[in-house]
Amino acid sequence: MSSNAEIERRIGNDYQAGFVTNIESDTLAPGLDEDVVRFISAKKGEPEWLTEWRLKAFRAWQEMVEPDWAHVTYPKPDFQALSYYSAPKSMADKPKSLDEVDPELLATYEKLGIPLHEQMALAGVAVDAVFDSVSVATTFREKLAEAGVIFMPISEAVHEHPELVKKYLGSVVPQRDNFYAALNSAVFSDGSFVYIPKGVRCPMELSTYFRINEAKTGQFERTLIVADEGSHVSYLEGCTAPMRDENQLHAAVVELVAMDNAEIKYSTVQNWYPGDKEGKGGIYNFVTKRAVAHTNAKVSWTQVETGSAVTWKYPSCILKGDNSVGEFYSVALTNNFQQADTGTKMVHLGKNTRSTIISKGISAGKSQNAYRGLVRMNPNAEGARNYTQCDSLLIGDQCGAHTFPYIESKHPSAVVEHEATTSTVSDDQLFLCRQRGIDTEKAVSMIVNGFCKEVFKELPMEFAVEAGKLLEVSLEGSVG
Amino acid sequence: MAEQFQTQQLALANSVAQLPLLTTLNAQGREAFAEAAMPTRKTEAWKYTSLTALLANEYGAPAVAGSNEQLTAAATINGLDAARLVFVNGQLSNELSDALALQQVTLFSQANDGQQALISEKLNSVLTQAQGSEHLFNDLNNANVNEGVLIHVGKNERLQQPLQISYLTTQNANPFAVTARILLVMETGADATVVEHYGSDEHAQVNFTNALTEILVGDNARLQHYRLNLMQEESLHIGSTHIDLGRDSQYNAFHLALGSRITRSDLVVNHNKGGSHCEISGVYIPQNQQLVDFHTCIEHKVAHCTSNEVFRGIMNDKAKAVFNGRIHIHPQAQKTLAELSNKNLLLTNSAEINTKPELEIYADDVKCAHGATVAQLDEKGLFYLRSRGISKREAEVIMSFGFINELLEALPDEAITNLLRPILAQRFGREQDLALHLLENEAAGIAGENA
Repeated sequence: MSSNAEIERRIGNDYQAGFVTNIESDTLAPGLDEDVVRFISAKKGEPEWLTEWRLKAFRAWQEMVEPDWAHVTYPKPDFQALSYYSAPKSMADKPKSLDEVDPELLATYEKLGIPLHEQMALAGVAVDAVFDSVSVATTFREKLAEAGVIFMPISEAVHEHPELVKKYLGSVVPQRDNFYAALNSAVFSDGSFVYIPKGVRCPMELSTYFRINEAKTGQFERTLIVADEGSHVSYLEGCTAPMRDENQLHAAVVELVAMDNAEIKYSTVQNWYPGDKEGKGGIYNFVTKRAVAHTNAKVSWTQVETGSAVTWKYPSCILKGDNSVGEFYSVALTNNFQQADTGTKMVHLGKNTRSTIISKGISAGKSQNAYRGLVRMNPNAEGARNYTQCDSLLIGDQCGAHTFPYIESKHPSAVVEHEATTSTVSDDQLFLCRQRGIDTEKAVSMIVNGFCKEVFKELPMEFAVEAGKLLEVSLEGSVG
Repeated sequence: MAEQFQTQQLALANSVAQLPLLTTLNAQGREAFAEAAMPTRKTEAWKYTSLTALLANEYGAPAVAGSNEQLTAAATINGLDAARLVFVNGQLSNELSDALALQQVTLFSQANDGQQALISEKLNSVLTQAQGSEHLFNDLNNANVNEGVLIHVGKNERLQQPLQISYLTTQNANPFAVTARILLVMETGADATVVEHYGSDEHAQVNFTNALTEILVGDNARLQHYRLNLMQEESLHIGSTHIDLGRDSQYNAFHLALGSRITRSDLVVNHNKGGSHCEISGVYIPQNQQLVDFHTCIEHKVAHCTSNEVFRGIMNDKAKAVFNGRIHIHPQAQKTLAELSNKNLLLTNSAEINTKPELEIYADDVKCAHGATVAQLDEKGLFYLRSRGISKREAEVIMSFGFINELLEALPDEAITNLLRPILAQRFGREQDLALHLLENEAAGIAGENA
């Protein structure tokens, strides 16, 4: 396999977001007990009910066991060795405007290509920047407020819109949902809160950018998006972390609520530090993402996963209302020693609910890439429809690609279709390209891009370009 | 309840007269079974299969049963000129069996020195290759086995007739357990057709069959295997088939489960040498409250092997089916071609299907695909038939039957197709007349074409 050797050579590891920002931080000593939970809650000045809510989650978490059914192996994180809160010191006295924000922080985001100055920002994208445990800045808040859209860090929303937060927090992912969701519920630090009022089409793309900076910390953000009746929102999420030899934990929870006739489009470009070529370091990405779609609502998850040492992530849709629609488009790329177990769950409860799953897995190097999905047609899901396609591409003979689809149907009129294929970049394909004067590197890049096309076209335009580049960089050296 | 079942099964294992040849295996099995935990809903391989119905009874050893006309009928496959071995309630029926006359076939208890050596060497050897696909009922089989069938087809030999091994159950005072064990060893270049058949007569009551078949297909050998499960509704059946494939060998199989209170069937194919090929088709048609659970696993351990698997199921009434089809490509198994297709029809609101086609792939130069669908009968198809004056009921039968007839038609032994068609047609037609009428029409049509 000469072409494979070429591919191997080309998959380098050029992680451009791997720098550390030199900034003083307030970091809580490692360890986790009820006092830590109380400390985080107090630090955020949270009301009593939320402190109790966290403690309830913490107590539940203590009784839970870390799940081991996923097709990944890693040393279990020591939860007592982690720090659960870290914030840049300069954020302690809440800067009133962007001008007061530490320039070092702004420079960090600048370097990552996320300008926070509104005049410089891409028109039409509002950004909430989360740095370790706190939100640094949220742009375009006033402009969004004009439309009635609430877009702010969840820690502020707790104070400003307690009724909304109280009503929806944990309504999609309850505290005891699973091990990591329970942990997150207990110690979640910051994240974004979005509320789109009835009938409003959000005037711009909303976006959150997560950055882990401090060593030996975990990031536990919580995002809650509520789209009220007939509204529409498109939300983007990006993430990076410095290159470090130790594994860092990221356990987030994302809850989406799409009321009747609402539409939520949630896109993720996940580029946490994947570890080095020997598999040292990298982020453990254990995320719970779930959406509830009410009558005629539509929820669409799009994800491009190239980072993280270990990924455990299943963005799901509960299609509760009649005629609701769920979509899942995913490209998951693993290289070197990365491991990913990712997929989706589509639970059809309502009549005529529809779901589409397109999953593209690419494994290179010595990585393991698994798709795990569930399609469930409940006894009331009359006329429900699902189409699933999951394709895997293997590059190199030491990686693995796996598919574990669960299909459960209890209604005769529900139609479920599942297709999966696994193949490699074939010598024939490469030959065809090379014969036409395209060098091996370009040819593989073309083939991989073509393989992912169906998913990329679902991404917002800027992201699609970004994702294409990201894929190219991540694959560098593996594809020939 | 689970513990009770375990203790009681162990007691039963201790009470049977042991064959000296099998004492080590029995002991191993007992130990493993005693230590094993009974599966629960949390056990991945039994996630959808509740064993409550199995655990609810206490099973004894069956009394020796005589034969009757119905049993004779159940043991007969018209048009199949087969050498037969028939077990009734676990005991060999001399009256219905004639296969022991063949030098290739013997019982464990009647094996000569050479055959005993072969049994010692090969028995349990295929099962131990299973990497996680074995379960505690295999241990139980090891613990309980005190008789079995050995088929040894020598180098370049061809079995002239198909070999039919039937395990039948009939009336017994109490619920009872039967342990069925088959060891099939095919040497280089051997060729055989084996029909493994589980059935019962109308008087049969609650019984639990634990079947374990191990097959070694030598280099260049070819096996045509049928595993037909036609037991009556109250039966409980847990069976496993483990296969070891040699170089350039071929395993062709058809697995059928009509469904019973619980039918669990595991099929594990080990591609151990290059160039081997397996072609497996299967049908499951549970009705009423029946449960059918098929777990198949194709282990591609070496390069240049191919496999093709097609399973179709139709669930009626409150029936439930589980299909788990796993393809496992090991790192060395380059140039593998593996395909799996599973299609299901749900006929009623209370029927249920859980299917999980799995791919686990560790080699890059392979082509693997699987597909699964769940649906009901195509409305347009039904409309088409009805617009031509065919009643709704009849149209449904025609379409359901067409769904699996494709697999039946492809069977190389016509006698098996002919045996199964009326049984299956009746499942859809319910009214036997309607089914037979349709079959007659078809026969007439074929006759007409020929004329």
